[in-house]
Amino acid sequence: MRFAWISAWKDLLRLRREPVTLLTWIAIPSFIAVVTTLVFGPGGAQPHGTLLIADNDHGIGATMLGNAFGQGSLGKMFTVEKTSAQEGRRKLDQGEASALLVIPAGFTASFVSSKPVAIQMVRNPAQRILPEIAEEALATMLDRASSMQAGAPLIQLEATVIPDKTEQPGGFAAILLPGALFMGVFFIAGALAADVWRERTSGALRRVATTPASLGAFLVGKLIASALVFSVIGAAGLLAAQRLMNLRVANFPAAVLWIAASGCGLYLAMMLLQSAASSERVATLLTNFVTLPLVMLGGGFFPFEWMPRPLASIGQWTPNGWCVMRLRAVLAGTLEPSAYGVMAALLAVAWLASIRNIRRFAC
Amino acid sequence: MIEVEQLRKQYGDFTAVHDVSFNARAGEIFGLLGPNGAGKTTTIGCISSLLAPTSGRIRVMGHDVVSDGVAARRSIGVVPQEIALYDDLSAHENLAYWGGAQGLRGSKLHDRIREVLELTGLVDRAKEPIKQFSGGMKRRLNFACGIVHEPKVLLLDEPTVGVDPQSRVRLLELVREQARAGTCVLYTTHYMEEAESLCDRLGIIDHGNLIAQGTLKELRSMLGERDVLRLTGAFHPDRVREALASVDGVEIIHADEALLSLAMSDASHRLPLIFGALNGAEVRGTTLTQPSLESLFIKLTGTDLRE
Repeated sequence: MRFAWISAWKDLLRLRREPVTLLTWIAIPSFIAVVTTLVFGPGGAQPHGTLLIADNDHGIGATMLGNAFGQGSLGKMFTVEKTSAQEGRRKLDQGEASALLVIPAGFTASFVSSKPVAIQMVRNPAQRILPEIAEEALATMLDRASSMQAGAPLIQLEATVIPDKTEQPGGFAAILLPGALFMGVFFIAGALAADVWRERTSGALRRVATTPASLGAFLVGKLIASALVFSVIGAAGLLAAQRLMNLRVANFPAAVLWIAASGCGLYLAMMLLQSAASSERVATLLTNFVTLPLVMLGGGFFPFEWMPRPLASIGQWTPNGWCVMRLRAVLAGTLEPSAYGVMAALLAVAWLASIRNIRRFAC
Repeated sequence: MIEVEQLRKQYGDFTAVHDVSFNARAGEIFGLLGPNGAGKTTTIGCISSLLAPTSGRIRVMGHDVVSDGVAARRSIGVVPQEIALYDDLSAHENLAYWGGAQGLRGSKLHDRIREVLELTGLVDRAKEPIKQFSGGMKRRLNFACGIVHEPKVLLLDEPTVGVDPQSRVRLLELVREQARAGTCVLYTTHYMEEAESLCDRLGIIDHGNLIAQGTLKELRSMLGERDVLRLTGAFHPDRVREALASVDGVEIIHADEALLSLAMSDASHRLPLIFGALNGAEVRGTTLTQPSLESLFIKLTGTDLRE
């Protein structure tokens, strides 16, 4: 076991001396996260979209309701566009707006005479944030308007919502951050795994195999170093997201542990891939060939919520996508304990395969 | 120290090493001489338990390298053909790592690091990343990492490939020092002159077969190769022929008034006898040429030593 620590020390020392590769792979997801944060604002609180209003009432109540969306913070988020119900549905179907508010004829008269009335909001199923904000804002407005009347609420909001199984608590950051973080973890896992080819080419791996120290301990050392790297990156990423994107983290140590464990799993998988290649060049090609599609599918570049549903379904079962979904659950404090067991089992399998492989690869 | 019996290593239908047997003793430098692809590195790979032999038996310090590999590896130091070091670590850090891999720790490790740095002349550069080192310095450090744990058996796989002449001389002297200290050294090379000057005993290997082994002298006599003695001066060819006819095993290759060429075995020991027989002749110069290892190799393998 002592040699494992010596090997870990050696790998960490080498990483400290040659940090460029690591920093490059951290820079890509960081850049994406920063740009997205700049576009949507901290916490993603101010995205912008179009709210369609089909005013069949033309009374003062309807006008006031429409105007309310064009003022204050809602005004910064929504461009209000008057339309007919039919045209509004067409535009919504084409993804040209976030939501359609249909105000029925006689809305003002009913409100003034304290008669029950229903208004309808249709949400764009391709969007999550803005339609939700529009609906929440409308509900609040209607609640306040109703409270001005004596008795029970008279205005009923009928919201048409297509349910989304991937909906996460925690808002925008909770959707974006885990995928971006795992993009970095995946890239770094690939870069760290590639080191085994450098060690093989230099003859260092063969030399280790001629010492009394075991290649298993050598591999443990690599895992210790990798786990430390992933922990630091995970902790830094989560802290930055907490500060810059108002990310809610239910259990910080568990989240860091999950990122480190997932990173080690991806590292072992990438090392198996690397060692299956016939040359270092082929290994690099193979790694890129596997990494980029998996990162895209696994929610790295785009959250699953922004993907077409079939792709999102596939992406959530990629190795990194699976880890991303569980990290979201860790952040929300809803991860089933069995997930830790599954992760442990996967790590054990990857470990056994790597141990079998490393000696053949070294020689 | 090293006992190799009927070692065979096959890769599918290809036999890389074919029933090779030899022993190397403590304090001895045993050379494996052969061209690239002859099976030298495979043999070292099997001895260092890096490669599993297809058949045969190898013992290092009495430990079977297959069934008792860890114990065998504790006695072995390997200096590979490649510069198997970490470029981004310093010489000191590399030595600490490879010493640690051999089980050294604490003050013993630090003492040994200091000793080998001094031995290899790298003390002043010990803290620099070795990527700034010259090729010769890296070779010396590669060697230092192989001896940091004071191995009883040292395996050197062509350690001077691509090394400048000055560093080569230094490296060869380091190897001799190890042997003088009692280490059993197995040295592979395809450089004839290196094998000739360095090794106490030699094995000539080609196409995976160990075709001859012994001391240089034994190899020469085994092959019936003779020394050539060239004498310059003033001679009477007829008198010379008459005088040397009585000396056994001496063949006159050439004789004229100024030059006399004689072929015989073990010429250095027979010089007094020759001069005695030539009593009266005026000898101004003497040149003794022994058969080179290269000519032995050609005679044994039928081919020149391939690069």
